[in-house]
Amino acid sequence: MLRTTLAGLRLHKSRYVTTVLAILLGVMFVSGTMVFADTLNAGYEKSVMGSATSVDAIAVPEAPDPQDGEPTEPVPFTEEQLERIRELPEVDAADGTVRGQAVLLDAEGRAFGFMPPAALSLGEPNRFSAEEGSLPSTGEEIALATSTADQTGFAVGDTVTVLDREENEREFTVTGLVEFGVDPSYAFGGAVVFDPDTAEEMTGLSVYSEIDVLAAEGSTDEEAAKAVASVLGSQAKVRTGEEFGLDMAESAGGDTEMMRTALMLFALIAMFVAGIVIYNTFAILIAQRQRELALLRCVGAKRGQVFRSVLVESSVVGLVASVLGVLAGVGVGTAGAAFGGPLLGMGESVSVVVTPPAVVTGLVVGTVVTVFSALVPATRATRVAPLAALRTSATASGLEKGTGWIRVVLGVLSFAVSAVMVGLTRMSGPSQTGPIVVTAAALIAFVGVVVLGPLLVRGIVRVVGVPLRKVGVPSMLAVDNSTRSPRRAATAMIALTVGATLITGYSVVSASLESTLTKQLDEQFPMDYQISPQFAMDDPAAGGQDPADAEELPAEDAEGSEVSGEDTEEPANAPGEDGSQTSEEAAAEGTPVEEAPTGGGDDSPEFGTVPPEVREALEAQESLGKVIGARSTAAEFDDQRMLPVFTYTGGEIGVDITSDTAEGDLSDLGPGRVVVSKDYVDDLSVGDTLTLPIEDGGELSLEVVAVVEPMQFLMGATIDPEDFATAFPGHTEDDYLFVRASEGSEAAEVREAVYAAVDDHPTMQISSVSEVKNQFSQVMNVAFYTIAAMLGLAIIIAVFGISNTMALSVLERTRESALLRALGLGKGQLRRMLSVEAVLLCLIGAGIGIVLGVVFGWAAGASVLPGMVFSVPFGQIAVFVALSVVAGLLAAVLPARRAASTSITGALAGE
Amino acid sequence: MTESPVKSVPEVASPPVVVARGLTKVYDTGGSQVHALAGVDVEFHRGAFTAIMGPSGSGKSTLMHCLAGLDVPTSGTVHLGRTRITGLRDAELTLLRRDRIGFIFQSFNLLPMLTAEQNILLPSQIARRRVDKQRFDHIIDVVGLRDRLSHLPAKLSGGQQQRVAVARALLNAPEVVYADEPTGNLDSRSGTEVLRFLRDSARSLNQTIVMVTHDPVAASYADRVVFLRDGRLVDEVCDPTAELVSTRLLKLEEA
Repeated sequence: MLRTTLAGLRLHKSRYVTTVLAILLGVMFVSGTMVFADTLNAGYEKSVMGSATSVDAIAVPEAPDPQDGEPTEPVPFTEEQLERIRELPEVDAADGTVRGQAVLLDAEGRAFGFMPPAALSLGEPNRFSAEEGSLPSTGEEIALATSTADQTGFAVGDTVTVLDREENEREFTVTGLVEFGVDPSYAFGGAVVFDPDTAEEMTGLSVYSEIDVLAAEGSTDEEAAKAVASVLGSQAKVRTGEEFGLDMAESAGGDTEMMRTALMLFALIAMFVAGIVIYNTFAILIAQRQRELALLRCVGAKRGQVFRSVLVESSVVGLVASVLGVLAGVGVGTAGAAFGGPLLGMGESVSVVVTPPAVVTGLVVGTVVTVFSALVPATRATRVAPLAALRTSATASGLEKGTGWIRVVLGVLSFAVSAVMVGLTRMSGPSQTGPIVVTAAALIAFVGVVVLGPLLVRGIVRVVGVPLRKVGVPSMLAVDNSTRSPRRAATAMIALTVGATLITGYSVVSASLESTLTKQLDEQFPMDYQISPQFAMDDPAAGGQDPADAEELPAEDAEGSEVSGEDTEEPANAPGEDGSQTSEEAAAEGTPVEEAPTGGGDDSPEFGTVPPEVREALEAQESLGKVIGARSTAAEFDDQRMLPVFTYTGGEIGVDITSDTAEGDLSDLGPGRVVVSKDYVDDLSVGDTLTLPIEDGGELSLEVVAVVEPMQFLMGATIDPEDFATAFPGHTEDDYLFVRASEGSEAAEVREAVYAAVDDHPTMQISSVSEVKNQFSQVMNVAFYTIAAMLGLAIIIAVFGISNTMALSVLERTRESALLRALGLGKGQLRRMLSVEAVLLCLIGAGIGIVLGVVFGWAAGASVLPGMVFSVPFGQIAVFVALSVVAGLLAAVLPARRAASTSITGALAGE
Repeated sequence: MTESPVKSVPEVASPPVVVARGLTKVYDTGGSQVHALAGVDVEFHRGAFTAIMGPSGSGKSTLMHCLAGLDVPTSGTVHLGRTRITGLRDAELTLLRRDRIGFIFQSFNLLPMLTAEQNILLPSQIARRRVDKQRFDHIIDVVGLRDRLSHLPAKLSGGQQQRVAVARALLNAPEVVYADEPTGNLDSRSGTEVLRFLRDSARSLNQTIVMVTHDPVAASYADRVVFLRDGRLVDEVCDPTAELVSTRLLKLEEA
């Protein structure tokens, strides 16, 4: 039996080419992802380990255990502690790293970065060394992190300007570049390195945030680390260089793991589509080989044997394809690591890492998916009656019968359930569970499409066929052909629908998000520029304790924004960016604001304010029409709930700054009154009284005049500037300035005016609303193209499936094609017939996908975005439709060539 | 290419529609050459219903394929009317088949996804030719398919399917209709129907028909039977009867 199976495989191997390709591509994606991620990890590990193991022990301050739920801050090491470490017999040498922040000016004289880079000294010994040039040795020298140098364009030998604690400019010569690798303390904000004295001078710190140690001759790393730990006590975490490196590599690997997971998700989609293709191929092959199988049964093969033979066949196909796929995957992963590695901060090149799991996973996934997909066709094969061998060609004349009513009921039911679920999310309004419900609804609708697939194909073809039939005989025949085996056509098409739905859905969400943001910006915030202080500048007056706190926070925050929006400073939040960003985010996620990051209201970290001179300078500019200042603070209620409180000076609420209101009128705001937003205060309505705890411990009673919808520009509580001044006399400076150009002034003129006004204040961050919008749409575009490219593979696999279906149908219709040719159909017309059929299939698949994508893209978007402006990216969809036509044409190329080149007499004679 | 003298065929005065001269067809099958046709000279006259007979392997199907421009002979010429079809390119052959030749095959004559009517009209549609409604109606009535026009082939009996094929072949009044074992798959009653219809149309529509068959009864419906053996024309009979054809055939196979 096995011999028969294998002989059959050899005979029909050309029929498996596209199936093998489909599996190959899927497996390639799986293995490629793993090889890529493993190699990337090895690269990270190597660079981290390389720097960490250059010293023997590393001590960093560790926060003591939290007490009473209050988070505590790690305390940096002192000079005295360092001295004691140096005196240890196990220690040969030790030095500390001073680490604060310093404002670096870029080539245009503006502060570099969203927050100032880390400013540090690298002692001797230290785990970092200059990658290029040398470390600074005098007060006139500086070294830059390679990432910072790349971003600013500075190179060794250049002169750069850094602001000292009093914001005076000091010039330094760049003597070297330091590669900090993936160390999170430096990777995001960048870093500048001074010699130890200058570092203390520039940061005002004389404490160490890290001590690096070399072990004395005769002492192991562990002994040295232990000795250091005993000196530093419980407030320090001391690790050997190797341990430190491993920990660091692991945390860096976290990002790789996230990327691996994301890529794997797309790989799974590709494999799923490949599964559909495989299923269809086997189903068609079994149908075509009915007589062969029946003959086997006639000569005495048992059902089980037939079943097994099909499974063996699928395993062989699956295994062969998977082996090829793994090989291709290694290649792709290598290429990915070679090209993508440097972009992802993998400093050193490492040789490709091919782990056994990468190989095994690829092989197993490929083979299992293949065998699993062949199960149903295999079962069907066992039902072939021995008598079928005696019948004349069953496949040629047998048109599939109609779809049963059970199918219809099931299909309609799933659409109904899906519609109800979407309806529910609409009724309940935006919530966290919304997207999950919508995803589930989409899956159910997809099941409906699968169940109703044959019917849909027939219905759509009937409609589309009307004009097509008139075009000519080839298209008329194509229309008829495409409905001959609706089930086969439906399966081939659905493979494409998967990718089409996902891409369209994503593009709709992305376009809607963009248009929603644009609309909100335009309507609620008709401003041109925003001026804000650089994030998290140290308070120059702060003592020895504060720096640690001021330095940890931004690092965390920057990390957060890195994940969600790369370097665009969270454009969605940009207009409302303020001191309480973290609490704002917490609120956006639906949780009540409980705690500011560092404790009570007044202790909240200083994020700096815009100096009054800047405002005056701006107001003096003629081309600038309006300057609005935003001040904010947080009021803490007795139950520790925090409410951000805003006020806007120089602008009128309801006119210059608006939001969608649930009730009330924004322009009613005035002294003694308050506007609240629903996502912060949900138990108040117009006319109620809000009692606000104020700075001096007293209370302020305010009448609610308007309630704003969630996630609008106005949030928390907005009060009149007069009330704000009374209630929070400590906040007399603006957190932000919003600038609007005066009527009729040129964009370039406005820009110049804004920059001129802040010229003396290099740390002020200027963001133009149009730039924010541009950046945002760029990010959205990049994300879209990335996702489209990832899904592209699933689509290519689906096109292979359609091509395969066409090829198998052509084989099956050899005699028919010959008959048509005998009757006078030209070769070109025959080819056109098949092309039209394939294009029709692709268009239906893509069309259904587009419809599903638009519907569920809308539903998903609307379930999270209140007041979403639904927008369909017609351009992208048109491109997609055009692509599916091209895909159809490509899918038909080989089958059509084959059909046209078959000899008429041979085909007519042969059965 | 030497013109051999045309054999005079008694009782048929009209000019030949199809003329083949010195046709040979050699197949290469794994090194050894098979002469499917070894120099055939034959012609078919307008309005004549001719049967080509011979034992299996005698080359009758190959002859028909070469005559119809479905296959290319190794040497020799075939003329259809004034057109020399040997040497035409594929595209020209396609047009020739489309416009000037009708086909009826043994089985699998119809496209399964088209109705009887669509099948009948297919060649005209391919050629974008206007259909003579009167002729269509006439043929439909003669073959008795009026109430079956909207059926798919799967819903028709074998005889009905073959009649649809005949109607399709005749609709355009082609210069010649080639029928390859048209009754091979039919029971005798349906077969008789189809054959009678073919004979009648040759007479009433003055339709030239060339039929390949190995069935003496079928051949007996023709005006003339030519016998083929080992790729050569070896005998011919005019106004045959089934008995006559059988004896000739038996003789051929014995020889």
